[in-house]
Amino acid sequence: MERKKSPVLSSILSLILPGLGQAYAGALSRGVSFFLGIVLAALLVHWRQAYLLYIGIVIAWLWNVWDAYNLAQEKKLSPTIPFILIALIMYIIGWGVTQIDLERLFTNVADVKPLVTSLIQPAVLERDIEQLVAEVKFESPCSDSPPEKGTPSPDEPYLILVDKTCGDPGDTFTVTGGNFWPSTKGYIWWSNLAGEMQFRVRYQGDFLTFQTDEEGNIPPTTVVVQEPFAEAKGKGPQLYRVQARMQREVGSPHLSQTFFLVVEKMLETIFLALMATTIAIFIAIPISFLAARNLMGGHSVTMFIYYAVRTILNILRSIEPLIMAIIFVVWVGLGPFAGVLALAVHSIAALGKLYSEAVESIDPGPIEAITATGANRIQTVVYAVIPQIVPPYIAFTVYRWDINVRMSTIIGFVGGGGIGFLLQQWIRLLMYEEAGAAVWAIAIVVALMDYASAKVREMIV
Amino acid sequence: MLQIENLTKVYDDGTVALDNVSFEVPDGEFLVVLGLSGAGKSTLLRCINRLIKPTAGRIIWDGEDVTAAKGDELRRIRRHIGMIFQEFNLVERASVLTNVLSGRLGYVNPWLSIFHYFPKEEIDRAMRNLERVGIANLAHKRADELSGGQRQRVGIARALMQEPRLMLADEPVASLDPVLAHSILRYLEQLNREDGITVICSLHFLDLVRRYATHVVGLKDGQVVFQGLPEEITDQRFKEIYGEEAERVTIT
Ligand SMILES: Nc1ncnc2c1ncn2[C@@H]1O[C@H](COP(=O)(O)OP(=O)(O)O)[C@@H](O)[C@H]1O
Ligand SMILES: [Mg+2]
Repeated sequence: MERKKSPVLSSILSLILPGLGQAYAGALSRGVSFFLGIVLAALLVHWRQAYLLYIGIVIAWLWNVWDAYNLAQEKKLSPTIPFILIALIMYIIGWGVTQIDLERLFTNVADVKPLVTSLIQPAVLERDIEQLVAEVKFESPCSDSPPEKGTPSPDEPYLILVDKTCGDPGDTFTVTGGNFWPSTKGYIWWSNLAGEMQFRVRYQGDFLTFQTDEEGNIPPTTVVVQEPFAEAKGKGPQLYRVQARMQREVGSPHLSQTFFLVVEKMLETIFLALMATTIAIFIAIPISFLAARNLMGGHSVTMFIYYAVRTILNILRSIEPLIMAIIFVVWVGLGPFAGVLALAVHSIAALGKLYSEAVESIDPGPIEAITATGANRIQTVVYAVIPQIVPPYIAFTVYRWDINVRMSTIIGFVGGGGIGFLLQQWIRLLMYEEAGAAVWAIAIVVALMDYASAKVREMIV
Repeated sequence: MLQIENLTKVYDDGTVALDNVSFEVPDGEFLVVLGLSGAGKSTLLRCINRLIKPTAGRIIWDGEDVTAAKGDELRRIRRHIGMIFQEFNLVERASVLTNVLSGRLGYVNPWLSIFHYFPKEEIDRAMRNLERVGIANLAHKRADELSGGQRQRVGIARALMQEPRLMLADEPVASLDPVLAHSILRYLEQLNREDGITVICSLHFLDLVRRYATHVVGLKDGQVVFQGLPEEITDQRFKEIYGEEAERVTIT
């Protein structure tokens, strides 16, 4: 037995610095844990300015003094209390740092509703659109010879001005018309004479609408004279087109353009994964031999290569494909090629490791047996090594392709091509129904790949 | 005639597996190497076909120095030395026929063999050898579908493809139950008697040794502690080989 430890000295040491007394009493790792736990917790409390939590720290500190006192007498206390205290402090701080706010889950439900609805009804099917348009000319501001009011037509949709044919911006005028579809809602549009600048007229924030009667007549509708377009400002009187428009869907539903776009981009995504995986296979196979301990062992040069290859593979594998994609987008530009490179590099690292482990786990028995028959080295590899590594190689490769399809769907978010690029654009443009179609496509393809790769692996092993 | 002269094997970690071993094996003999686990039996057998490179000593086979052989010459020597193993060492995922054909790799055109091409006569030879060990009907099964006894017969058929003049058998029956052990050893006995193939076989059980051996070498800690006829192994001799605490186990 070594010399006696003083409980008092031990507790004083722990009072000065948490864990010091424990270290003095011979429990170094316990001391380090106390030191790190208490000091880190205190720093975090200080950073978050959650000063009330100092109470917990003080209790843990005092407990640590008490523990040091006991340890010096060879009594080991169970550190449950300080552990729970520190954990509690961490979780309280974590709650704050991550800005958890459960209330928002309920108050903002309405915001997510259109998104979810669109996801449930993706823009896969659409119907053709038929449109009725009629127009009159309106002048703003007034000139010496304002335009005609327009004339009713016996069989075509028409629009006429009721009270005036010209006016200043902000004035109001009234239109009416006929020969539209009966009892249907329509909109008033405003455009310049050339027709390339146009918009739907609003009234108090909402679109200005009208509703036709049973005969298809437009009731008198009041329209505000709009401000001139930017290029017509200060150029004096201008003619504008005032249009009444009506739309309806006709014919049976058919596959939408969005659908075809999604299919095209999905194919691009699958090919992206295929190319990346294939490139990776060809590079990972030779690398896997260099990273297999049983092949490289026994000589210092080969062992050096083994460690070097292993290290490079580990570093490459630790870089997320998404970050890799950002690098390659800068390097080779936006598009699927960047995605192929990013996934290929990541896959080389992942497959290189898995392949080399397959090589490491081969049974040396058959190699011995084939060598004993007088076979040469190449024959031995063909008959004893390859049959053992082909099944795991195929299994790992299929698995990797599956992962790559999954990853390539998101790699587009940073510009790496594939469906992710489209999805990200649609979400930004608030085109949720189109985004919904993309999300569905991803889900279906990923699930199918998952199933197929599981089946293939089952067949092989 | 196989002559082993002062054979010594020291492994990289310093283990002395064989220590100055010398004996002779005349043609046509069924020599059993007897010894405890770790005595050096496997090391000895693997030195004979140079799966292991001896540290010192010589192995002379029909006047040719096996220990000095390299490259093509070594492969030519190996071609005539068949070997079967305790764990069978078949390629599990390949067919029985492919496993048997692989015994012929030392003879056929190496380039064609890489593409798994074998001439018809070699396939016929493989089928004849499978017939000889009674499993021609299993030729197209995968090796991993076979039972232990069947696998060892594939191992024998593979070795027979080499048209061996010497057959090494490293505890060929240690993974099999007693009935199968006899059937496998009877095949070896048949090869020895009918084809005149010299057999060197390591075994554990004295009963099997008495039944099959024409000559016995006892190994202990890498040294030869007994050389003679099987009937000369008295209980006293047996204890010398197996250590004082050993009991004779009977196998029927
Ligand atoms: N590759 C190796 N490296 C180091 N020591 C080994 C190796 N192979 C066998 N040995 C040792 O050599 C001795 C003889 O082994 P072995 O020839 O396998 O004996 P047996 O076949 O009679 O059981 C044992 O002590 C064993 O541990
Ligand atoms: Mg052995």
